[in-house]
Amino acid sequence: MSGQGQVSFRNIVKMHGEFAALKGVNFDIKPGEFFALLGPSGSGKSTTLRILAGLDAPTAGRVLIDDKDVTSTDARDRDIAMVFQSYALYPHMTVAENIAFPLEMAKLPKSEIAPAVKDAARKVKIDHLLHRKPGQLSGGQQQRCALARAIVRKARLFLLDEPLSNLDAKLRLETRAELKKLQRSLGVTAVYVTHDQEEAMTLADRMAVFMSGEIQQVGTPAEVFARPNSIDIAGFIGNPPMNLVPARYVDGDVIIAGHRLKTTATTAGERDVVVGLRPGALRMAEGGLGARVDLIEDLGDTAVLDLDCAGTMIRMRVADGNIPGEGDTISITARPQDIHLFDPATRMRL
Amino acid sequence: MSAKRLRIIALLAISTVFLLAWAFPIVWSVLNSLKTDSDVLAYPPKLVFAPTLEAYRDVLFGSGSILPNLLSSVIISVGTTIVTMLMAVPAAYALARLRFRGKKFAGFYVLATQMLPPVGIIIPYFLVLRNIGWIDTYQGIILIYLSFSLPFAIWLLVSYFEDIPLEMEEAAYLDGASRLKTLWRIIIPQVRGGIAVTIVFVFLNAWNEFLFAVVLSGNTVRPVTVAMFNFVSVEQTLWAKLAAVSVLAMLPVVVLGVVAQKHIVKGLTVGAVKGGGRR
Repeated sequence: MSGQGQVSFRNIVKMHGEFAALKGVNFDIKPGEFFALLGPSGSGKSTTLRILAGLDAPTAGRVLIDDKDVTSTDARDRDIAMVFQSYALYPHMTVAENIAFPLEMAKLPKSEIAPAVKDAARKVKIDHLLHRKPGQLSGGQQQRCALARAIVRKARLFLLDEPLSNLDAKLRLETRAELKKLQRSLGVTAVYVTHDQEEAMTLADRMAVFMSGEIQQVGTPAEVFARPNSIDIAGFIGNPPMNLVPARYVDGDVIIAGHRLKTTATTAGERDVVVGLRPGALRMAEGGLGARVDLIEDLGDTAVLDLDCAGTMIRMRVADGNIPGEGDTISITARPQDIHLFDPATRMRL
Repeated sequence: MSAKRLRIIALLAISTVFLLAWAFPIVWSVLNSLKTDSDVLAYPPKLVFAPTLEAYRDVLFGSGSILPNLLSSVIISVGTTIVTMLMAVPAAYALARLRFRGKKFAGFYVLATQMLPPVGIIIPYFLVLRNIGWIDTYQGIILIYLSFSLPFAIWLLVSYFEDIPLEMEEAAYLDGASRLKTLWRIIIPQVRGGIAVTIVFVFLNAWNEFLFAVVLSGNTVRPVTVAMFNFVSVEQTLWAKLAAVSVLAMLPVVVLGVVAQKHIVKGLTVGAVKGGGRR
C-alpha cells in the first residue's frame, strides 16, 4: 500500500514570529535510506521532522515525497508513521488496540487487523504483552509498543523523534542495534532525529547536520567525521570532538604555540586560521609540539589526555600501555593529512 | 509523643465541631420529617418520639402531591445536563487546543459570566422569556440554566483537556485519524473522569436551583425546590411535610455525592490548581 519513500526538501523556511527556526533547508533522502537529522537542541532538526510529518506547515518552500508536492497535504494523508520521543501511546487502550489503531483508521477488515497486529508485535518482541495497558509496561516495552504501532501500517516513511532518549544507557545500546536491523529488514525509509552524534554515526546511512536553523553538511557518517564542513560540526562530531586551536598559516605550515606543523591543506598566502586536530590523530614523537599532561581519563583500552600546550588546551587519545604520567611533559605531532584548516571569520572549512 | 497526641485530640475536636455544624440541619430535617406536627412544635424539642411516615405519605400521595414537581425537577436537571455537556465538551476542547481569533476574549467571557450576581439579571431574563412566551416552560428554564451551567462546565473541562499531551493527538493524526475521530477515540476516553465530575456538578446545580425557578416557573412547570414553599404559608408552616419534601429532594443529591465522591474531590482540586495557571 506504500510507495517508495523518497523525500526532498526545497528551500524550507520556518518563522516563529521574527525568529527563523529554519533558514532555507534543502536535502534529499533516497528510498530505503536510514537518514539522521543531527544537531544540538534548537538547531531546527525537530522542526524539520514535524514539517515532513505535516504537523507544522513551513513558512516558505516545498516538501516533496515520491516526487509529489505534499506541502499542504494533511498529516493523516501523507502515509507516514512516526515514533514520538514520549511514545504518545494511548493510555486507555491495550497494547493490541494501540497497534491496531492505524489499521482501524485505514478501515482494514477485522480479519486482517488481528494477524497484522500479532506480526508487528512479534517483530519487536512484545507479542506476550498484547493485553496490557501502556501504564503496565516498562519504558523499554512502551518504546517497542510505539515502534510496533509505527511499523504495523507499512507506511512509506518512518519518522523517529529521539526514540531512544528516554531509555537507560544499556537498553539504549541494545535498542539501537535492533532498530537498525528492523529498518533493514523492513526496507523502509527512516528519518531519525537525534542530538546524540554517536547514535547518528552508528545508525545512519547518511546524515544532515543542523546548526542554528541551517544544514551545514550532508553526507555519510564517515564523510562527516573525516571532513567536517565547519568549526561547529568539527566541535560537535566525535567523542571527544576535534581540538580547535587558533594558529597561523604560513606556506604549507601551521604554527601552533610557536611550533611548526606540516599540513596538506592549503590556503592563500599567510593568514590566521583555526586548526582542527582529532584527538585520535595525534601522535607522541620527538621534536613535536611540547605539552604538559594535566589530566588523564583512563577508559580501559584507551585513555584521553588533557594537554596544556603553552596555554592552549588539547585533548589526545592514546592506546593503553602508552600512557604517560600526570605532570609529564611530552612532545606531540600529527600527520600533514590529519590537520584540518578552518576560517576563523566564516567558521567554514578552508 | 504527647505533643503529637495533643495535636490529634485538637484535630478531632475541631473536626467534630465542623461535622456537627454540617450534619445538624440534615439530622434535624430527617428527625422532623418523621414527627407529627405537634411533636415538631413541642418545646423543649423531643428527641425521643414515636416516628411516623405520615408526612411522607401526605407529600407523596396526598392532595398536594409533590410527585409532579419531582418529575419537573428531573426533566429540568437532566435536560440541562445533557444540553450543557453536548455543547461544553466541544467548546472546552476548542478552548484548550485550537488557536483562533478572540480566544482570549472567549476565555474571559466564560469566567465573567460566573461573576454576575444572579439577582441582577432575574428581571431581564424574566422579560426576555415573557416576550418569547417561554415563561413556565421546560425550554425556558433549561435555557436560563444553560447560561450558568455552560460557562461553568467549559471552565471545569478545559483543565482536563489541557492535561492531555499534544503529542497524543499528533500521533492519532499520523495514524490516519481525523480531528473528530481523534476527539472521540483518543481524547474523550481520557477525560472521562472530568466529564463525570462536570455532569454531577451541572446536575446538582440545576437540581438545587431555587432563585430563578421561583421567578420563571409557574403552575405547569414547578420544580420541587419551589413546590416546597407550598408548605409555608401566612397562617402556618407545615414543618413535618416541609422536612419530608426536603429529605426527598436531598436524596438524589446524596446518592450522586456518595457515588461520585472520589471524582468530585479530584475534580475540585484539578480546577483549583489548573485554573490559575491557564494559558
